[in-house]
Amino acid sequence: MQVGLKIWRYDSTTGDRALKEYEVDAPEEATLLDCLDIVKDRLDGSLAYRKSCRMMICGSCGMRMDGGAVLACKVRMYDMASAGHAPVISAMGNLPIVKDLVVDMEPFWQKFKAMKPWLQPGYDQPPADEEHVISQERMNVIHKESLCINCGCCVSECNSMESDPEFLGPQALAKGMRFVGDPRDAAKTERLDQYSAEHGIWDCTRCYFCNERCPKGVDPRDAIAKLGAEAMKAGIDEDMGAKHAKWFVHSAKTTGWLRETELVPKTQGIVSSIKEMKFAMGLAVKGKVPPPFPPHVAEGVKESRALFELVKEQGVDGALGIVQGERALSRLEHEVGHAAGGGGDTGVGSRDQADVSPGEEPTRKRGGE
Amino acid sequence: MKRVAYYKGCLASLSAKELDISTQALSPKVGLELVELETVTCCGAGDIHEAEPDYYLHLNARILAYAEATGSDTLMTVCNVCTLNLRQANFQLQGDERLLERVNENLAKVGVPEYRGTVDVRHFLWMVAEGEGYDLLKAAAHKGLKGLKIAPFYGCQILRPSKLLGFEDPDRPSSLERIIEACGGEAIDYPAKIKCCGFPIIQAREETALGELIQPIEQAKEAGADAIVTPCPLCHLSLDAWQSKLKKQTGKDFQMPILHLSQLIGVAAGFHEAELRFKRHVVSVEPMLDKLSV
Repeated sequence: MQVGLKIWRYDSTTGDRALKEYEVDAPEEATLLDCLDIVKDRLDGSLAYRKSCRMMICGSCGMRMDGGAVLACKVRMYDMASAGHAPVISAMGNLPIVKDLVVDMEPFWQKFKAMKPWLQPGYDQPPADEEHVISQERMNVIHKESLCINCGCCVSECNSMESDPEFLGPQALAKGMRFVGDPRDAAKTERLDQYSAEHGIWDCTRCYFCNERCPKGVDPRDAIAKLGAEAMKAGIDEDMGAKHAKWFVHSAKTTGWLRETELVPKTQGIVSSIKEMKFAMGLAVKGKVPPPFPPHVAEGVKESRALFELVKEQGVDGALGIVQGERALSRLEHEVGHAAGGGGDTGVGSRDQADVSPGEEPTRKRGGE
Repeated sequence: MKRVAYYKGCLASLSAKELDISTQALSPKVGLELVELETVTCCGAGDIHEAEPDYYLHLNARILAYAEATGSDTLMTVCNVCTLNLRQANFQLQGDERLLERVNENLAKVGVPEYRGTVDVRHFLWMVAEGEGYDLLKAAAHKGLKGLKIAPFYGCQILRPSKLLGFEDPDRPSSLERIIEACGGEAIDYPAKIKCCGFPIIQAREETALGELIQPIEQAKEAGADAIVTPCPLCHLSLDAWQSKLKKQTGKDFQMPILHLSQLIGVAAGFHEAELRFKRHVVSVEPMLDKLSV
């Protein structure tokens, strides 16, 4: 098949930048990485990109295709080539470009290392000749987080990181959850304290680009939510982000609806709120600041409060509350290349789910039935 | 008429009442009969999902149960965040019998009807972007938006994660564009239309949030947009109300009118202030309306 590619070439030493078009003859099963190899072998030996395993496990070949990060070795080109679409290939976002499709991963690794991504054992030694056994159920808590291959695709379009480059970001935080949720780790509280600081858990803007881009089904945003849940369960809830979340819980069980007007003082504290008075008055004249009294109470608030008390007793708390829903969600597939989309670029990536669902048989790959 | 359970959520009940009013006014014209859910609560946004995830699941199960009790197969939302929260909980319950059983036992203990898993959660945008709703919309939008350039702003949680939303390609959506064009306006294209407005962290991390918020407004302005339209009241609130903070921070006074989707269609359908309530906006919509009447 004939595959067209438009590749952003870039040289950080000169600043030269150009979009170059290539067309290669490739076998029908070729991936984007295979096509780049053909370009490099036959058309232009100066093209720079990273690769190693070619089987979605080393995490080297993260790059952007039509603006979204993919693993080049995972994306099959057949559908796109058949539709006559030549995708734009460029380096991942949120990291400095060294040359062409190669980014400097150093800022990424710095955040990764800041998470102390190693086990700090704290479990009792098992008796001689016995193993330290942990149940599947407990390991399911970090099943998805353990699938991360450090490719950086989740970081590429992270909206919070675009605005705050110091944000630890989805990869590092998902890695953090991998250790916070590990029953063998002894540094859970210290970790939660550290991850809850500025540029941590509460910087996440919930844009969900990380879940969308991850080629391994890690769902980093969900990992960040698990960290938030674990931090609050451990009483590490002084950050404004945590206070914001707590006010939602309080609202749901007292009036049923969000008590919007009190959200600012409950999140930022009284002093900051007074500084915000002028801004708030501007909103108030437009009816954007509903009077807190009398509160807008949902008819069924008694049920909502009773539910809160009931589930509290049952102890499916912290990360477990999120993990319990993963079994069902792992069976869903990402929607790709909807026919209604413009540009005819169908089949962009096969961003299917994790290779293995928690405690279940490996799922069949799309098209592999 | 399609009879749907209508979940308006917190903002449309309170600070964004104009969204509820314009949606109620528009619905009969696009073939929707809204059955209001009186007894339901907040969906918890991402916040309860993060703070008390088990409570989040039960709160949403309760909303779904009352929606099912109306006899409709559809729970219609008008907010991106409600849409994601309810769909996520719904898939968790529909796809796991043991979980559904546990949640139903708890619902029964506090007097909530059983949820059987028959409801589909759909945003208002999806109801009018295709099929019969779209045909009726085209007929209803008789006054048009001639000469207006409208920038569609999707927001995040109606697109991503696509496995939970799945209505359209999350990177190249087109539903808002189709609606703008059906209303006779010109849809502006710009990169930030699928990005975040910053709302979830606008209180806890204002500076980071403003760095996100400025992108769609600045890009839409540069592309010559007369207004931005969004299907999400949270995006609406940050885009509309926090523009004054952008001005303070950057010195740029965008004065970009921000419309709820139901308001935009309402304008094209010839609705008046009583149904549109533009007076509740922080940034004036007048310049856009003046341009339309010329």
